[in-house]
Amino acid sequence: MSLITDHILTWVTFVPLIGSLLLWTVVRRDQHARILALVVALADFVLSLHLWFRFDSGRGDDQFVERVAWLWSGQVSYHFGCDGISLVLAVLTTFLGPLILLSTWKAVTDRVRDYMAFLLMLQAAMLGTFFARDMLLFYVFWEAMLIPMYFIIGIWGGQRRIYAAVKFFIFTMVGSVFMLVGILYLFFQAGSMNLTDFLNVHLGRTEQLWLFAAFFLAFAIKVPVFPLHTWLPDAHVEAPTAGSVVLAGVLLKMGTYGMLRFAMPLFPEGVAYFAPAISVLAVIGIIYGALVALVQPDVKKLVAYSSVSHLGFVVLGLFSLTRLGIAGGIFQMLAHGLSTGALFLLVGVVYERRHTREISEFGGLAHQMPVYATFFMITTLASVGLPGLAGFVGEFMILFGTFSSATLANARLMAVLAATGVVLGAFYMLWMYQRVFFGKLDNEKNRDLPDLTVREMVVLVPLIVFMFVLGVRPGLILDKVEASIDRVLAPLAAQPFAHPEAGGHALWLPGGSTTDDNPGQAVRATEDLR
Amino acid sequence: MNEILIPAFSRDAAALLPYLVVAGGGLLVMVVDAFVRTLKKDHLSYLVMVVLLASIIVQLVTRPADATLLNGMLVTSDFTRFFNYLFAGIGVMTTIFATGLFDRNGRYRPEFYPLILFTILGMMVLAAANDLMTIFLGLETMSLATYILAGGVRGNLRSSEAGFKYLVLGGFSSAFLLMGMAFVFGACGGTGFGLIGRTLENGQAHQAFLSLGTGLMLVGFGFKVAMVPFHMWTPDVYDGAPAYITGFMATAVKAAGFAILVRFVILTQPQLGFVWYPLLSVLAVLTMSVGNVIALVQGNIKRMLAWSSVAHAGYLLLGVVTMVAPSVGGPSLMVRSSEIGEAAGSAILFYLLGYSLMNLAAFGIINILSRDPGEEADEIARYAGLSRRQPLAAAALAVALLSLAGIPPMVGFMAKFYLFSAVIQAGLIPLAIIGVINSLVSVYYYLRVIVAMYMQDGEDASYDGTEWVSVITSGVLAALVVYLGVMPDAFHRAALIVFRQIQF
Repeated sequence: MSLITDHILTWVTFVPLIGSLLLWTVVRRDQHARILALVVALADFVLSLHLWFRFDSGRGDDQFVERVAWLWSGQVSYHFGCDGISLVLAVLTTFLGPLILLSTWKAVTDRVRDYMAFLLMLQAAMLGTFFARDMLLFYVFWEAMLIPMYFIIGIWGGQRRIYAAVKFFIFTMVGSVFMLVGILYLFFQAGSMNLTDFLNVHLGRTEQLWLFAAFFLAFAIKVPVFPLHTWLPDAHVEAPTAGSVVLAGVLLKMGTYGMLRFAMPLFPEGVAYFAPAISVLAVIGIIYGALVALVQPDVKKLVAYSSVSHLGFVVLGLFSLTRLGIAGGIFQMLAHGLSTGALFLLVGVVYERRHTREISEFGGLAHQMPVYATFFMITTLASVGLPGLAGFVGEFMILFGTFSSATLANARLMAVLAATGVVLGAFYMLWMYQRVFFGKLDNEKNRDLPDLTVREMVVLVPLIVFMFVLGVRPGLILDKVEASIDRVLAPLAAQPFAHPEAGGHALWLPGGSTTDDNPGQAVRATEDLR
Repeated sequence: MNEILIPAFSRDAAALLPYLVVAGGGLLVMVVDAFVRTLKKDHLSYLVMVVLLASIIVQLVTRPADATLLNGMLVTSDFTRFFNYLFAGIGVMTTIFATGLFDRNGRYRPEFYPLILFTILGMMVLAAANDLMTIFLGLETMSLATYILAGGVRGNLRSSEAGFKYLVLGGFSSAFLLMGMAFVFGACGGTGFGLIGRTLENGQAHQAFLSLGTGLMLVGFGFKVAMVPFHMWTPDVYDGAPAYITGFMATAVKAAGFAILVRFVILTQPQLGFVWYPLLSVLAVLTMSVGNVIALVQGNIKRMLAWSSVAHAGYLLLGVVTMVAPSVGGPSLMVRSSEIGEAAGSAILFYLLGYSLMNLAAFGIINILSRDPGEEADEIARYAGLSRRQPLAAAALAVALLSLAGIPPMVGFMAKFYLFSAVIQAGLIPLAIIGVINSLVSVYYYLRVIVAMYMQDGEDASYDGTEWVSVITSGVLAALVVYLGVMPDAFHRAALIVFRQIQF
């Protein structure tokens, strides 16, 4: 057992990779490929539960650390660690893994073995990205993620899959290569690729601004932050259901995770300089994404644009630079992973039956598929942020954090504008729901649609259960991440501009109140949410 | 005791043995082909491989001490041995691929076997040259054999065109090289590297003649490594030559060119560093950019890889630039011990190794798909659906192309990582940024082939040549590409040691 528990992060990361190699070497029959992939993904989930239950929430530092010299006698190392932020995202990944594989049981019939292998490979790369504590190792996983996703979109996607796949690949590469130059530059300042050494480098203001820009570009494209979002609707619409779920569920969070883990703590001056501009972009993204979603005739595209809007909330929360906003951002990452992941699965269900996603093709589906309509309703409400469901908590914390932020110019205006995004979100989601499910069942083609099968319910029920669980007990997540947030963003708190008495603004006050205007209120809000 | 028992000549002979093995092997193959009638044609390929492996084993066993041989004409060190191993390895792969093709179409080119050995002999001499005369001997031995290999497919117009073009332009570039050597001789008063090095370190060489001479020699070397603006032959020759030869030229000839270019630049760096640095910077940027931009619009995979090989020469030149960056400075042998110099030098060596692996894998697959040299599998559009017809070949080619694009976890990424990190260590950040932008551009055209193979459906009949020995060989190369991408450290360490042993 200790062989596994001593290297638990390595196992969690590489079990899916081993699975994909097994698929390519051993398996011949499609059905065997599906079963093997599912077993591997479940095993990986079980392994990740070990992380979840052995994790010490009181500590904010990296746990389960593994470190072996890799290059240049240890200046670059194979260095894995897991803090609260990595933990929740990694467990989200392994949780979605088996559900995704199960969801494609019938949908994919062509080259099943390759499909399953690429999905598992993608999972390994994503987990490695969350655990890596060495910058080169991080970069390797970050880039390696592109390869399986590129094939998943390009081989099993829709009509314009090749365009979407290449666009996805190139867009992401554009940001990454500049980050690579930044990493190399820092490497020679720090003397090693270790993240801790990077954090100890003293950089001048100009350097920080440039390096922040290089890192932020890479992450902003991945999120995606307006106006770099154009690859996302293409990728989402063309990707097969499983691809969309991974994309929305985990891949987009890579960007916000990277900001939180690397861009923000490494370059506090850059954060202070760019935060106002970034939060404006985030608000534009929220409203723009919502408005564009409103007019989409295609359900999947609508959900894709809603992702732009929701991820705008996450970025806004992070760059509000308040404890509440950042915790809310992380929570929103998870909530969005669950609700949007479920939405893509649900869209996939009806697409498998009708091979169309045009809203106008539907109407009155609630009569024909009551169970499906119920599941869809819950997910829709979770997505629009109904209290009691997961989406509410994150959005609320982000809006509250933004409202009370002392660093953002016009923080209150930002919060108000962002809140219109919530209203618009309810508008486009519910309007879409109304057009698809209510009214008369007047399209003949929809007469014989079967309701959810048992397999589909097995896929959806866990997601829906957790939408409720996180909605009523957000502490489950917040407890895990709070100590880690304080630790990761400690470099920001150490900056002179973080303290009002030094003449600056109250930027980041761990453990304390967020602003002078409403002392204690923000803290109480966090307490209440538990 | 040993000093008395083993005369000086026999110590030289031990160091010369690998060269003698390859030269003798070439002659032997020729004789066997001409006189042994009972031999099956493909037995020649075994003989070639045995000769090449023997040359490797001889070096591993004798491990002669670092020394200059034959009155300073040649030099032997880990640096030269590294290239000898590389050339021999590439030679073995090329022989496998070539023989596979001959087997398939039943038309043997028996002249291929001795010629490949003579080419490799020329490369070995070139990499070990310690005198301007030896440079010329090695370069011409290599080139003449390559002209025939590229143009020698009888009855094939494109191949003949390629051979002829390569011959004419190559002859032209050799003339430049010779003229340059004459000037350098005039400037330094000798042709030996040792003498040239001493003269330059004392600053006694005639500056104008020296600059002119090395400039002209750079034309000659630039031609061999396909450096812009001396790259014009590359697409036509790479396209016209049969794929197994193109793979050989893109890897071995380029490596040989860089072996001598690196040594020559280091040698002349004390008095010419201030010229080399701006000149090579401009050439490196031009070479990368021209190669990548033109590769974007190629519909022919061999031409695309030709332009990509130009681009890769540009990346390698970045490494050479770094060795002569102002932050390095000092006498020539300082380069090999200065931190940045050795970072750049080892990066170049590692890059050449990785580049050879991935390029050989790619050309190996193209060669497998080709029915015969007259009908090469070169249209990217006709690669459509390859992943269904030949999953293993498509996967190997995909790995090779992703590696060429510099995507981790393939060796192409690690090679670029080492290279760009040396560039940044030397403080040449603008050059590094131009480099990564270029590698970004290159992603697009490599992906096009993968798009065709995996994402488009094609006719069953297009490009269906296959042969398991070559497929396995390419598969092994692709596996090595991934292995070196994940575990590059041992090889990079070796490259570092090798570079420190560079001799003059």
